[in-house]
Amino acid sequence: MKRRLWLSLLATIITVIAIFAANLATGTTPLLGLDLQGGASVILEPAEDASGEDLTVVRDLIRDELERSGIAEPNVRVQGDTIVVELPGVKDQQAALEAVDVSGIVELRPVVNFSECSGDGAAATPLDGVSVDPAPVDPAPVDPAPVDTLGVPTPESGEVPVPDDTVGRRSLRTPPDTIPVPDVPLLPDELGIPLTPGAELLPTRDGQVLCVGPAQGTGEVFERQSATVDNSLGFQVNVELRSGEGEATWNALATQCFNGTPTCPRTIPGSNGQLAIVLDGVIQSAPSVNQPVFDGAVSITGNFTQSEAEDLANILNRGAFPVEMVAQEAQTISPAAGQESLRASVIAGLIGVALVLIFLLAYYRWIALVILSGLTIWALTVFSVAAFVSSATNYSLSLAGVTGIIVAVGVTVDSYVVFFERMKDEIRNGRTLKNAAPRSFKMTWRTIWSADLVSVIGAAILFSLSVGSVRGFALFLGITTLCDLFVCYFFTRPAVILLARSKFMAGRKAFGLEVAS
Amino acid sequence: MTRPDHIAATGPGRLYRGQTAVDFYGHRRIGLVVAIIVVVVTFTSLFVQGLNLGLDFEGGQAWDVPAGETFGVDEAEQVLRDNDVSITGSKIQLREAESLSFVAVQVEVVPTDQAQQITNDFAEAAGVEVEDVSFAFTSSSWGEDITQKAVRALVIFLIVVAIFISIRFEWRMAIAALAAMAHDVLLAVGAYTVFQFEVTPATVIAFLTILGYSLYDTIVVFDRVQENEGKYASVRMPYADVVNISMNQVLMRSINTSISSILPVISLLFVGSGLLGAVALQEFALALLIGMIAGVYSSIFVASPLLATLRSNTGRKSRRERLTGEDLRAAVVGAGVTGRILSGGDESDDEDDAERVDADKTAAVHQPAERILTHPPRPRKKKRR
Repeated sequence: MKRRLWLSLLATIITVIAIFAANLATGTTPLLGLDLQGGASVILEPAEDASGEDLTVVRDLIRDELERSGIAEPNVRVQGDTIVVELPGVKDQQAALEAVDVSGIVELRPVVNFSECSGDGAAATPLDGVSVDPAPVDPAPVDPAPVDTLGVPTPESGEVPVPDDTVGRRSLRTPPDTIPVPDVPLLPDELGIPLTPGAELLPTRDGQVLCVGPAQGTGEVFERQSATVDNSLGFQVNVELRSGEGEATWNALATQCFNGTPTCPRTIPGSNGQLAIVLDGVIQSAPSVNQPVFDGAVSITGNFTQSEAEDLANILNRGAFPVEMVAQEAQTISPAAGQESLRASVIAGLIGVALVLIFLLAYYRWIALVILSGLTIWALTVFSVAAFVSSATNYSLSLAGVTGIIVAVGVTVDSYVVFFERMKDEIRNGRTLKNAAPRSFKMTWRTIWSADLVSVIGAAILFSLSVGSVRGFALFLGITTLCDLFVCYFFTRPAVILLARSKFMAGRKAFGLEVAS
Repeated sequence: MTRPDHIAATGPGRLYRGQTAVDFYGHRRIGLVVAIIVVVVTFTSLFVQGLNLGLDFEGGQAWDVPAGETFGVDEAEQVLRDNDVSITGSKIQLREAESLSFVAVQVEVVPTDQAQQITNDFAEAAGVEVEDVSFAFTSSSWGEDITQKAVRALVIFLIVVAIFISIRFEWRMAIAALAAMAHDVLLAVGAYTVFQFEVTPATVIAFLTILGYSLYDTIVVFDRVQENEGKYASVRMPYADVVNISMNQVLMRSINTSISSILPVISLLFVGSGLLGAVALQEFALALLIGMIAGVYSSIFVASPLLATLRSNTGRKSRRERLTGEDLRAAVVGAGVTGRILSGGDESDDEDDAERVDADKTAAVHQPAERILTHPPRPRKKKRR
């Protein structure tokens, strides 16, 4: 028992100090927020005229995108006709420009032809166009062709013979067997149809080229941030349609492709028309459409690897940019609150903590030494964890965060107060110090974990569901609370119990009370 | 009843030794009245004048002034001060690039002619043409969807916490804890709306801190209530008494904890913003101070009486008056030890003999610590009722 306590005590002290020293040696310190340290700023201008409403949408999208890519608590706002993005912790202007390069528009373009577009006019690519196509395509089914399909999700993707991707309504159970029926009679129709004007050749991500018609919709048809990767049966991407206009636009397109109308012909016999999802002139995916009408949601299935599916989901998520934004020059910005605020809050905080320690020493006498060393261990742990987290995730400590940590000192001290008050009660009622310490800890631990668990739950929920500075707050609340629990169990417990047993405490006024020995 | 010798003679002495006997439940109306005042004042003020939302929530106006040898952040601040624009609500930053540097100034919306005046003053101070000073409206950086997401997360959090407290303790404690939390947050929000302090993102963080602190404190107090409930289970102590005993036992802890939590905040308020002049900290620290005092106060004066009221209407009927005075003190002192309190005498306390049972209970309440510590001989087992 005694050996285990010593082990826990020493292991904690050594580990914490070693990690802290390692942090100091490598120069890892917590990142400071925009208000304390400044950062980089990029001004984005719309490529064409944009309404204020569009810019507000872009503001929210850029912020989401930045947070998703790991830049925490950016400050994004519309200023005049431009969008000002401020990034905490980013010192390199080039890095700042790359971080805000989120400006592409996602377009939905029907696939008109494979590998070539015969002119922009009404040039009929009649029989040749289609009859030729199957030839180069024939080998295609063997290789994982960039042909994705839009269909009902998992059950069908197994049934579809072609290793294509499909887009479908998630809830619908209808197997795609129903589709081939209209296929055959319609085939001749499309052969004589001229190519749509505005068609152009675009590369796919695998380097193939497809001829796609003009854009008939943008990524705005998708609900913002709704695309997810589903890996229940192979990787597939599910995305929700924005109700109303978005769904109408998408369904109009889907119906064309499903029926193989001239604007979206059947490029592979036996399959339906394909709809290309284009970002910055590159076809990200060109699934064939397996349903004429989609009800609220679409799933894209195919031979995706996990990273391909995630890329596609990200592209669909960012797809709702209503206007294209062009980044202007990047600048570094000075802290808004100023260096003196940080200094003032840190100095004030330290004075406050010193006052707390003086108060506790006066009140608890010798045993307050445990609080002093416990708080030191706690502070070192918080620093190390905060430094690690902010180097790994870009979460920065703002002025609110610094003061939040100062407030957390109070909650941490409470663990000791609850413990010691309990011990006082037990001793007053005639227990010896040695006997009282472990019993008191047992009851105290119950109290502490119940109360701290509420904070941890709060931190976890706020962190996973909110954005911006609320998220940063949750992160630091979680860190300080977990460190409190850690120090309480692995440091305070052995320290107090060992101290209570030691000869050192015998006869001393541990709590300002005469202790029976 | 006279005080036994081991009880301290003075009030602070009794407080220090954990020998207080305040009838908190009997004074529950104080908490109720204060809570009603807080709710009425806060909602009236919110309805009449609302909150003074800052730049990050409402947007404002922005100037980009070319910076130079003679014009920097300090000079820009001076211009704003000359035009009677509050510095605390503004953001002044230096924006540097290879080509040209700017002082970027954001302030809350001012009237057009004043804005024009400020533009002219900036141009004059920086020694440039008026056309070189760019002026534009700037939107909020704290968008609607940040608020929406935060509110959604908060609602889910509160539901989960209510479930957690219901499992770990019981559902009535969940209600009482959430009510106390709402009370504290309303008090802090009330201070902001009544005095029209500017609400910044840091203020929102302060409110969240208060919320967490309030829940934390209430749970620490409730944990003692639950422990005492188990301790007195065999004596069938009325719930109001259990609450009263627990409150008196945790009183010293609550005072110590509030002192240790509030000292750093007071230091932030007076040393940080007062002496060192970090004005940004002032209102933030004030909100925290109000909220944290409220957090400790509400655990004892709002949450616990509410819990006792919720419980008193159910379950066991109180058959006698609440313990007060020296009886309560004896119970507070005696129960501060781990272990279970057994009813005294032989266990033949049948329901009808209320008088005797009460006498037993009083005895059980008076010397429980000795009873637990000295291990009295186990009474002969009788047939279970």
